[in-house]
Amino acid sequence: MRRNVNPENRTVNLNNTKKIAFKTLGCRLNQYETDALVTDFDKAGYQLVGVDESPDVVVVNTCTVTNQSDQKSRTTISQAARANTNAVVVVTGCMANNFKEKLESQDNITFVVENNRKSSILSLVDAHFSGEILHPDQLPQDVFRYEPVQKSLHTRSAVKIQDGCDNFCTFCIIPMVRGRAVSRPVAEVLESVRKTIENGFKEIVITGVNIGRYEAGEAHFEDLLAQILEVPGDFRVRISSLEPDGFGERFVDLFRHPKLMPHLHLCLQSGSDRTLLRMRRMYDVQQFRKTIKLFRSVYPDFNFTTDIIVGFPGETEDEFQETMDAVKEFNFSHVHTFKYSVRRGTRAERLENHVSEKIKTERSAQIRDLSEKNKKQYFASFLGKTEEVLIEKVTQGIANGYGEHYIPVRFKASGAQKNTVRPVILTEIRGAGENMYLFGELND
Amino acid sequence: MISMIKHDIKIDESFYKIEEVRQLTDETFSLKLPKARFAFKAGQHISLGIHGDYQSREYSIYSGADDENLEVLVKEVENGYFTPKLRKLKAGDLVEIHGPFGKFGMEPHLAETGKFVFIASGTGIAPFRSMVRTYPEIDYTLIHGVRYSKEAYDRNEYAEDRYVLCSSRDQKGTYQGRLTGYLKNCTFAPETHFYLCGNSDMIFDALEILKDKGFERDQIHCEVYF
Repeated sequence: MRRNVNPENRTVNLNNTKKIAFKTLGCRLNQYETDALVTDFDKAGYQLVGVDESPDVVVVNTCTVTNQSDQKSRTTISQAARANTNAVVVVTGCMANNFKEKLESQDNITFVVENNRKSSILSLVDAHFSGEILHPDQLPQDVFRYEPVQKSLHTRSAVKIQDGCDNFCTFCIIPMVRGRAVSRPVAEVLESVRKTIENGFKEIVITGVNIGRYEAGEAHFEDLLAQILEVPGDFRVRISSLEPDGFGERFVDLFRHPKLMPHLHLCLQSGSDRTLLRMRRMYDVQQFRKTIKLFRSVYPDFNFTTDIIVGFPGETEDEFQETMDAVKEFNFSHVHTFKYSVRRGTRAERLENHVSEKIKTERSAQIRDLSEKNKKQYFASFLGKTEEVLIEKVTQGIANGYGEHYIPVRFKASGAQKNTVRPVILTEIRGAGENMYLFGELND
Repeated sequence: MISMIKHDIKIDESFYKIEEVRQLTDETFSLKLPKARFAFKAGQHISLGIHGDYQSREYSIYSGADDENLEVLVKEVENGYFTPKLRKLKAGDLVEIHGPFGKFGMEPHLAETGKFVFIASGTGIAPFRSMVRTYPEIDYTLIHGVRYSKEAYDRNEYAEDRYVLCSSRDQKGTYQGRLTGYLKNCTFAPETHFYLCGNSDMIFDALEILKDKGFERDQIHCEVYF
């Protein structure tokens, strides 16, 4: 029996003995799209394996947001292809859009599939094994045609509500590789949430490229979020990274809902108004401050994390110091620090006064040190308190998971199971840097 | 088995033939293109490419949303890569357009009821001409900073009492000096919304002046030219 390649006809091939492996780089959206593909292939009878377990197919879902992402993506592709010389190698993700022709010319890659056709990779692979000649460009274009995640590599599942971005920040390649902003209709999002919950997930993450700009008919982001929170079921809701513009008191109020977790990854990028202008960001530091203050006046222990770009063209020592001051003032519990890297075709490529790698590295280290101090201080404020922890895994009797505030927590499992939510009293800070976590005890 | 996937046939709609090159000064000109199917909101910009060249640049739209033509305003940058090539274009040549992009602008109902101050340096006047042509009843003051008064592009299209020319290198402007100098001495109604377009230094300085005058950042909208 062979599957029909019509993407709408998702029959299971009971005789399928093919093995598939995935490698994913980059953002949560990419991770979600991989998870949805895993569900697709699992339903079609493919066996999910690691890249070192002789897969018949390897899918590399790439990222191109920085030079480092490009490098990692290239390395991942060549390692996967070298280790599996007879496998079908499918390269997709943002690098597939940004370097399509170059990747297509590589002998070690079977197919290059652009982002807007990624959701149909199963059809492509099936067609290949059927002996059909199908070019990726013949796949339908639909950025929302993903099945709700069922079989996942993770315990929480993302739900995609939006794709693309119209902001055109001067440093960013994403509008060129993800395209213009498009929003998924409300009914489809709610259906996807329902099915994801039915599939057993206890936590969903609202995901997209620029989700704050969600706009479907009359519904904006807050309207959609309010409806998601009213979907029946025992689940928690998180919001993936957000641009810090256009939120008011209604958004803050939504966090009173017990399903909505008190954490936002709000992308500051720089604490200098001059740098923000050159980045073509749509806010200034004072507006950002207003948002943070508004949240913390209602929820004093609200967790904010952020992205910072250091060494943006023209960034002076004073401007960098303003960023350090802002990171300190806003007390982000984690800062994802990026050294600015030139993306071809962006406006910042042509800006003057590019900053040397040496200075970028120094500034990056300073932000990381400060971020670690902030994190320790923030974690310390939770000692003696109880967090409801969603258990992601249990290893050697120790349960790992995240509390409501998106704090990593570990505790003696004492029979607690994966994918359950348990109250944990937090007693101790352990580890350091990226591996810092709170240790605690079950407090049933 | 025959593939059941439908193949979408998509016509590339991004190439436009130049109808006219309108010379405004020795260095500045506008490109007039057929508007036809191109819909946009006043204040938005496009990405403009030259047929056969891999690079493109962003330009605010200079024409009104209901005008017959789509028009962009270009100042040639000496020793630049792109604008000298644009300068050589003539009627009949092809350019590639993508867009429209951006959220610089106001909702139509606000354009009819609000009070606006437009602050532009040089060719940063482009989105404001688009707004004024799109919303003829709009209540605005346009403060235009240039080096020489000849750079008051299409000045006769603005009502005399709504257009303030600040020229820094000749004596023919309404105000002699930089527009930021003029701005410092102005008073505005508290409900005014400010739209700033031009180079980043001007925008940053104007922002500071307006914030010092007590205006909220939410009332100030910026479009930076580089």
